[in-house]
Amino acid sequence: MKLPFVDRARRVAQRIGLIDAIPPGLAPGAPAPRHVFRWDLDKTYLRTEFDSVGDLVKSAIENAADKQAFPGAPALLRALHQDEHRICIVSGSPTQMRQVLAAKLALDGVAYDEFVLKNNLKNILRGRFRSLRAQIPYKLPAMLRSRIGATAPSETLFGDDAEADAIVYCLYADLVADRVSLTDLERVLTAARTYDDDAQAILDLARRVPRGDAVRRMFIHLDRRSPPQGFRRFGPRLVPVFNYFQTALVLFGDGVLSARQVLFVALEMLDSGQYERSILANSMQDLMRRGRLTRDIGLRLVDEANEAAASGALSGRDDLPPFERIAEEFRARIRELGSPEPMPFDLEPLDYVRLVDEEHDLRRERRRSGH
Amino acid sequence: MHRIVVDAMGGDLAPDEIIKGAAEASLSLRGTEIILVGDSSELGRRLPKVRHDGARMRVHHAATFVEMDEKPGEALAAKPDSSIAVAADLVARGEGDALVSAGNTGASVLACARRWKLLPNVRRAALAAVYPTELRRGEKEDPFSLILDVGATIDAEADDLVGFAVMGAVYARLVSKNRRPRVALLSNGTEAGKGPPAIVAAHARLVSATELNFIGNIEGLDIPRGVADVVVTSGFVGNVVLKMLEGVSETVVRLARYAHKEKLAWRIGLMALSSAIEQLKQVTDWQQYGGAPLLGFAHPFIKAHGRSNARAITNAIKVAHKALTGDLCGNIEKGLAELEATRHKATPSPS
Repeated sequence: MKLPFVDRARRVAQRIGLIDAIPPGLAPGAPAPRHVFRWDLDKTYLRTEFDSVGDLVKSAIENAADKQAFPGAPALLRALHQDEHRICIVSGSPTQMRQVLAAKLALDGVAYDEFVLKNNLKNILRGRFRSLRAQIPYKLPAMLRSRIGATAPSETLFGDDAEADAIVYCLYADLVADRVSLTDLERVLTAARTYDDDAQAILDLARRVPRGDAVRRMFIHLDRRSPPQGFRRFGPRLVPVFNYFQTALVLFGDGVLSARQVLFVALEMLDSGQYERSILANSMQDLMRRGRLTRDIGLRLVDEANEAAASGALSGRDDLPPFERIAEEFRARIRELGSPEPMPFDLEPLDYVRLVDEEHDLRRERRRSGH
Repeated sequence: MHRIVVDAMGGDLAPDEIIKGAAEASLSLRGTEIILVGDSSELGRRLPKVRHDGARMRVHHAATFVEMDEKPGEALAAKPDSSIAVAADLVARGEGDALVSAGNTGASVLACARRWKLLPNVRRAALAAVYPTELRRGEKEDPFSLILDVGATIDAEADDLVGFAVMGAVYARLVSKNRRPRVALLSNGTEAGKGPPAIVAAHARLVSATELNFIGNIEGLDIPRGVADVVVTSGFVGNVVLKMLEGVSETVVRLARYAHKEKLAWRIGLMALSSAIEQLKQVTDWQQYGGAPLLGFAHPFIKAHGRSNARAITNAIKVAHKALTGDLCGNIEKGLAELEATRHKATPSPS
């Protein structure tokens, strides 16, 4: 017999962070998802500043309506929420912010299947202050647990350049693809200064996680405007992006989004007032310059978007010029790039221990320089 | 949104320093698009290595570039697809609003002159240069005075000089935030009647027909003192003066190095002065100014120093941005229209 009081008490305990909220996984009888999209929130979906104590306080007391999503991100998430797709959010924000963050996502019309937040109260109560900022020991088990609960043959991950998302995501991708052994994982966890019992729990999850080369694509939102070149070592599967139009373009190339859905992302960005058509055209050219989008895919998108516009995708948008003119602006931007030589990736297996050490050094350097 | 075209291949330190400077400008100048013109493969390889905003930068391919020591006319004829020619074309076609280059000065000026229209009432364009002076000026305590022309119009007539004075004053008001810049003609004496006929006639016109803060003639020694904020001269004289001033500065540095090596007492003396010298270097650092304008055309062109590093390029782009924001060309047009109106009033029609 279910006691309503017990359920309510559990919910309250989860809200204040006394116990962890375990993601429910798939409902009994529900079909397995075809594609899982894992999203970070701060600096990936939400424009968050937490570089100073003041920023942290502001972020904690802001209400849902005051929180700002990056233009295009809500439209993209809405486009990704389809049958057989599963949206999983893993954020480093504390569990106490669940209500306000959930309200923000609801305001944006974003639906999700899982929403994991970090239980920092538990870390403080256990005196585990290293865990407050830890990335790998928090995000990796959260993603592994989620995959064990709902396994999909394809996954796409979304993070940012503020912390170690690129390393965590690649480690997760290589682990589930069986490219990283449990022995290597143990060394990485040691380098990441993971507490012993946490490391054992992660190794246990890694043993149980269903294997498969599932992670097709990873996006790193360049919130700090880090040089994109720094991410080339992670290979072509990880794409650093300046904005969500670029993300949508790559997903179009991957066959995940249609031209019509890319148009909706672009329209949301234009409507935000922070983007102009030429900025979007530049964004496309930037991906081509970096060898992340081919000229053929760019031209195909322009043609298909033109067809979508002709079939009514832009009806009621009297503020825009005829789409043929917009299409020509994009074609011109592709033409003016000439025929740059392709930039091959120098693919070497990733040394995660070295990457973790470098990340620690970088973080120390940022703290010293105040950035 | 302002679109600033940057010749990515021009300059002693191109393309690396130009790319870095433009990249920094893409982060600091919101609402501005930067168009890098040059070899797209080179730019595509180098740009991702630096922090920038990829959505506010675009690359326009140009297959070749003019070397710093090439003859301008011949180089432009042989290389119609050079970065400076393509960049000037983009602005002429309305795809860019201003141009910045650290490349071959002659080729840059010629590329603009062949493609861009002169503003109404501009007889000849003038290339300006900045020079650090003793006195400072304007809201920003700017240590640099403006000298024009320094080579665009070799032989200037009186009307050209008057036009240069108006254009230089507008620029100083806008960029140095100097509300009432002191304008002077460079001559061989301060008296009104001193100098060649063009200078004497220009003096008379500047006194009678303009509202400028015209302080009369100055001599060469007044330039480094900073007696005038805008020094007006012909391109031939301006170029000789500028090169001489640069030569004197280099000689002073060489002499100081010699003194540093030669005697311990001199070395100690220089070391004692080192913080003052450093302060002087900071005040007169041309990299903070970025570049100087080519005035008289319908679009702003900022010529950065050939040795420009990333910081100088960022600042040159900021000067171009300031010129666009303050509508430099529109204000020059207005100033010259007022001058023309005064001239018509002063000379009644023969009927």
